[in-house]
Amino acid sequence: MTSKLTYMGAIGLTALSSVAAAPAFAAGTTAGTTITNTATVDYQVGGVAQGQQSASNNFTVDRKINVLVEEVMDLTTTVVPGQANAVTTFQLTNMSNETLDFALTATQIVGGTASHGGTDSFNVNNIRIYRDNISSGAIGSWDAGDTLITGYVDELVVDTAIRLFVVADIPAGLANNAVAGVTLRATAREGGGIGTQGAAITETTGANTAGKDTVFADITAGAAGDAARDGSHSDNDDYTVQTATLAVTKTSRIISDPVNATTNPKLIPGAVIEYCIAVANTGSAAATSVVITDPVPGQLTFNAGSILLGGTVTSGTCDFNGATGGSYAAPNVSGTIASIAAGTASTLVFRATVN
Amino acid sequence: MRTGLFLLLAALMPGPALAANQVALDNHVFVERVSTDAEGKQRILLEEPKVVVPGDRLVFVLNYRNAGAQPADKFVVTNPMPAAVRFADAGDTRPFVSVDGGKQWGLLSDLSVPMEGGERRAAQPADVTHIRWAFQTPIPVGGTGKLMFRGVVK
Repeated sequence: MTSKLTYMGAIGLTALSSVAAAPAFAAGTTAGTTITNTATVDYQVGGVAQGQQSASNNFTVDRKINVLVEEVMDLTTTVVPGQANAVTTFQLTNMSNETLDFALTATQIVGGTASHGGTDSFNVNNIRIYRDNISSGAIGSWDAGDTLITGYVDELVVDTAIRLFVVADIPAGLANNAVAGVTLRATAREGGGIGTQGAAITETTGANTAGKDTVFADITAGAAGDAARDGSHSDNDDYTVQTATLAVTKTSRIISDPVNATTNPKLIPGAVIEYCIAVANTGSAAATSVVITDPVPGQLTFNAGSILLGGTVTSGTCDFNGATGGSYAAPNVSGTIASIAAGTASTLVFRATVN
Repeated sequence: MRTGLFLLLAALMPGPALAANQVALDNHVFVERVSTDAEGKQRILLEEPKVVVPGDRLVFVLNYRNAGAQPADKFVVTNPMPAAVRFADAGDTRPFVSVDGGKQWGLLSDLSVPMEGGERRAAQPADVTHIRWAFQTPIPVGGTGKLMFRGVVK
């Protein structure tokens, strides 16, 4: 036998190099498919074509269970205390080679580091899971038309990704930068029964069978507590409270007195005093509709039309400026500042005369 | 070296009973699994295809033998790719392949496939639809040999 075609010595080397380049697969051939390979031989003997010979083998493709849960966008969800229906977004992909149900659970992290930094410090209320309605409403983001999930996703076909929302209510009275972590976990269940959750799936262990076996192929573990190759996968997301933190300071200066006028005025009866109420926001979110109310002491008389709103503070010192506004209803001076951005301050300024 | 040993074992696996024809052919498939031992060396095991899932690498082995009393000439082995298997390579057996369902044949590196717009691109292993080995010299009486190719379950 001299044919070079039979030389097989280099196969080992090519195998090693080609294994490393194996591409990533999603679902692939449907479980239970029989693959048959047939080879045929044509040949001649003494110049005469002989009958064709063929040889076949076949085997069955087994079931590969692979599920992927991913947080979408890799961002924390910023919330304000007391917010209803705060949304975190996940994606569930059926990378198995069979249509399956997926049981879903949303749980809360207790303590520890949340996925986007910070330490989990509170729990949200009324936690729910919704499936995005991709035919109407806001597609890709949560709205009231999305489907509330009761325990499982029904009949998710091969190679399909769906968007899921974990929706919760945020308790009131939380401090700025408080964090609550949540985990969404999907576990593969038997498909086939429309409208009912399928049975739990177990991996085929021990001796293989010639028929369709089950292999858990989720080779990467998800969030804490989720093992690799267990037929389930999970990911974390978190809520971070961003709220305004307000501090109020009140300062005053003497504008004039009846004797010295504006030159080194003193606090004698008839002197005019200017007050500044500064509101500083040291939180992470803007404070809106900030209402400032200040009762004028009985020894002073409010100077009508002297209220200035929305003034500035420089290096912690009131600039005694702003735009005319506000109102006076004895004895209270009041004014509303539409918005104080995070890290800024705004003022209400008014004048009064000493009785 | 272990790789070579396992392949040798595969070659020695008994095939189905050979027919009483001039030429006998048998066809095996194995799943190729790579494991890494404690020293970091990779071992390749060829297993019976019992647990096969998409993405698994398959090795198809064709054994032939001239069981007749005369040399077999113009010896051509043809193997269409199963629909659910994507061709990967054929070791160093250098077969002719077809990327158009068996109409045209050539070495993979010489073939091209049409793209939209009339352009053609070089054929890739995934394009292969048929594999063919055409022997230049007759197979002598009693001559045996082995052909192989690799594929991946789609």
